Amino acid sequence: MTRSNNFHKTALDRLHHYLSAYAPLTKQEFGLLLPYIEIREFDKKVKVIREGETERYLNIVARGLARKYLPLRTGGEVTIQLATEGHIIHSELSFHNRVPSGSVVETIEPTIFFSISYDSLEELYKKIPKFERMGRLLISQLFVKKDRRYFDQLNKSTRERFLDYVNKHPQMMQRVPQKYLASFLNIKPETFSRLKHLIKGKGKLTG
Amino acid sequence: MLDMLRQYVSGYVALTNEEFTFLAEKLVVRSFDKRQQLVRVGDVEQFMNFVVKGLVRMYFLKGRTQVITNIAKEGELISSSASFLSGAPSCYFIETLEPTMMLSITKEDLEGLYQRSFAIERVGRLITTQFVLQKEEWELECMRLDARERFLRFVENNPDLMQRVPQKYLASYLNMKPETFSRLKHLLRKRPGVIKSFQT
Repeated sequence: MTRSNNFHKTALDRLHHYLSAYAPLTKQEFGLLLPYIEIREFDKKVKVIREGETERYLNIVARGLARKYLPLRTGGEVTIQLATEGHIIHSELSFHNRVPSGSVVETIEPTIFFSISYDSLEELYKKIPKFERMGRLLISQLFVKKDRRYFDQLNKSTRERFLDYVNKHPQMMQRVPQKYLASFLNIKPETFSRLKHLIKGKGKLTG
Repeated sequence: MLDMLRQYVSGYVALTNEEFTFLAEKLVVRSFDKRQQLVRVGDVEQFMNFVVKGLVRMYFLKGRTQVITNIAKEGELISSSASFLSGAPSCYFIETLEPTMMLSITKEDLEGLYQRSFAIERVGRLITTQFVLQKEEWELECMRLDARERFLRFVENNPDLMQRVPQKYLASYLNMKPETFSRLKHLLRKRPGVIKSFQT
């Protein structure tokens, strides 16, 4: 078995484990799902979906790091999601409503996705009603996370948003270019640089 | 009352009479006066509610300022959904703006229905997906549209709410200062289409 096949096998095991957290799936049931899953590999800085295209896939990050951003008319862009291993990332409005995407998904690191197409997902739900539960619970969790982020953006100060994020996701400081992090946290790049002094001596990042 | 809900649900999945009966049996009718709090910050949300009559708002306090995050009228769902789905304490208040009647279901009963019927579980999945999409759309709109555009879009989609909801709440919901909101109202005079729908 090649190295890449080995990776795929381990990764698929992990996917099975990951999905079972939502609805326990036997090996057989997971086997039913497998033919619908595409493994897609991308180099870093590749646009996986562009503005104006219709999103075909729901992606779960198997390995790597990707972001979703919104290009602004006025120029510039806003990073609205950062996704690492185990996270779902895609242009969801485009995917579910079958309309052109307003946002862009781009890899930051070389990335491997487990992807399922819109048609496959619909077929799966029809064929295997048990997947309804998994889908519902995955979506519920997505909503809860989204609501949390929305609430934090409105309710927390810049400093709080920065510290909360850095404490919860210390590894992201190394993996994500600072300008994307600043944009994601809705903090000006200059302010972000200044806030970095707060984490010195706290030891949270060096560990 | 039930017809209204049935119509709403059929926008997602056409339930059989039997399936709809399962659902209907678990509903409770709840009535509230205006300005009554249904959920407070720190409570765990027990209900998913369908508004049959009336008007409800959801908000949180930023210092002393109320920030409105949702307004629900007849034919819409309202709940402190993240709390309802996760079981974590609510970050939001939910309060009626008008005397309100709703059809409510508890989390426990809803879970029971999901065990009983895949079709109802499918409704649950699709409605939750809709929640996610609405949040995404709102977030993108706030970044993409300026205050004027957000105002016009809201008025066109919800002409009735201009009469029913105090202006300060609408301004907060649209994430703009009350002064900005007042100023933008002048735009409506130049838009006969919008004004006409006000009068109906």
